Amino acid sequence: MDATVGIPPAVTEETAAFWAAAGEGRLIAERCASCRAESFPPRGICRLCRGRVTESVSIVGPGSVYSYTVNYQRWLPSLDVPYALVLVEFADHPGVRVVGRLRGCPVSDVDIGMTVEVGFEPGPGGFAIPSFTAVLP
Amino acid sequence: MSGTELFERRVVISGVGQSAIGRVVDRSGFQLTLDAILAAVADAGLSLDDIDGLAMFPGGGAANLPGYANGNLYEVQDALRITTTWRQGIVEGMSLPFYGAAMAVATGQARHAVVWRTVKEGSAARAAGGRAAYGSLKAAAEGPLAWLLPVGMLSPVCQVAPYATRYMHEYGVSRSQLAWIPVTQRAHAALNPDAVYTKPLTVSDYLDARMISSPICLYDCDVPADGATAIVVSAVETAPDLRSPVRIEAMAGVVDGRPSWEQWEDMGRVGFATAAAMWARTSLRPADVDVAELYDGFTIECVWWLEAMGFCGVGEAGAFVEGGTRIGLGGSLPLNTWGGQLSGGRLHAGFGHTAEAVRQLRGEAGDRQVAGASVAAVTNVGGYEAGAALLTRF
Repeated sequence: MDATVGIPPAVTEETAAFWAAAGEGRLIAERCASCRAESFPPRGICRLCRGRVTESVSIVGPGSVYSYTVNYQRWLPSLDVPYALVLVEFADHPGVRVVGRLRGCPVSDVDIGMTVEVGFEPGPGGFAIPSFTAVLP
Repeated sequence: MSGTELFERRVVISGVGQSAIGRVVDRSGFQLTLDAILAAVADAGLSLDDIDGLAMFPGGGAANLPGYANGNLYEVQDALRITTTWRQGIVEGMSLPFYGAAMAVATGQARHAVVWRTVKEGSAARAAGGRAAYGSLKAAAEGPLAWLLPVGMLSPVCQVAPYATRYMHEYGVSRSQLAWIPVTQRAHAALNPDAVYTKPLTVSDYLDARMISSPICLYDCDVPADGATAIVVSAVETAPDLRSPVRIEAMAGVVDGRPSWEQWEDMGRVGFATAAAMWARTSLRPADVDVAELYDGFTIECVWWLEAMGFCGVGEAGAFVEGGTRIGLGGSLPLNTWGGQLSGGRLHAGFGHTAEAVRQLRGEAGDRQVAGASVAAVTNVGGYEAGAALLTRF
């Protein structure tokens, strides 16, 4: 499955650190230097206390699939289908939900509550995109 | 809350007009826009010289999909040779088509305002050989799309689908239940000469249809169309000059939770805060509603509106729509009597729904008329942006 066909992200002041870390295989969110709450996506402000000083925190997983879809439609020429897209949450990181692809199992096996490991794969424009790995029971 | 304090009671919807509507209408978006505006103003019983407010949705800069955004407000004003005291072109805040115009007229900024929406998505899809990826008009995914498009969440279908998956999982609602929404709306479309798809649709057609992004199949998606809809909002004191005005009993648009396609805590709750705010502005209750024009960009959005508006309980919409009896023309809550966007055409943002609600309340809905309709519900949703209104006979 090739995930490189698609539309790359526009990188901004707020998201540069995320995409740089992704390129190194690390998933990061923002943590408030004041109240320690975690926020995602990164916006340079704590969603809990609105503090403006934030630092990065690594999300190491495992995560849990909140929900999913299997995309069958070829929205772009040469798009490799089908593929599963998952919304992943992390028990130790409330406030962080990350959307990505799912690898490591047939698309028919994806399910709500499935445990997944954090990972990345080559995506559009040379960016590494979130791509979780199914943890099979 | 006393009725005289509600700004929406100071205005009426005085006219609705539509251009030709179809999968492909071989005329420019500008011509469709003019057709709809002229029809709406005539429908109101007004002349163009009465119009002093213009609004279009979306305003500039919302071109995420080919054929989605069309035209320029000033060009329309120039072509109509009118003077305006109020104008609006927006993207964010489009809770209901007539929301901004109602505020402008209620506060005296305009007396008769026209708001329109023109789509050429049918032509665009035909030219491209299929529906385009969301955001594909730009080289890179900006803002909130930066989290969605690069991983392959390339369409609103993929974006809404996980919430449909979650809803069906939590409440045990099946595709064979949800099928009754597009199936019933198709039967309504057969009675609407302007609908895009009128051929009968069955539950087995639905279950056999190809999956777009699970659990959303082809017939769960609205149909890209060409067409324009215009709506005239007028000051209530001008009612004696109007042909057949319709009241806005109550309206509201609340965005709560996290307004994001992937961060929303539970998109199945979209519309609940909006509906609660709307019901707080009226003494009418869900049982008083005679006809429901609920936004149906996807079947599942209709499901969520049925529950948010209190037409059934949370998780009960599957059972509510099953068999199509309740939501059919003879039922307790006829739903999307024009076919909705699923069969009538993606006129978008609640414009088609509003036009139909007005026709129903006036008794001008032809073969699909709900006898004696005096209260209509209209809702709109775009992901997390939501609006709900009750319209009533004048």
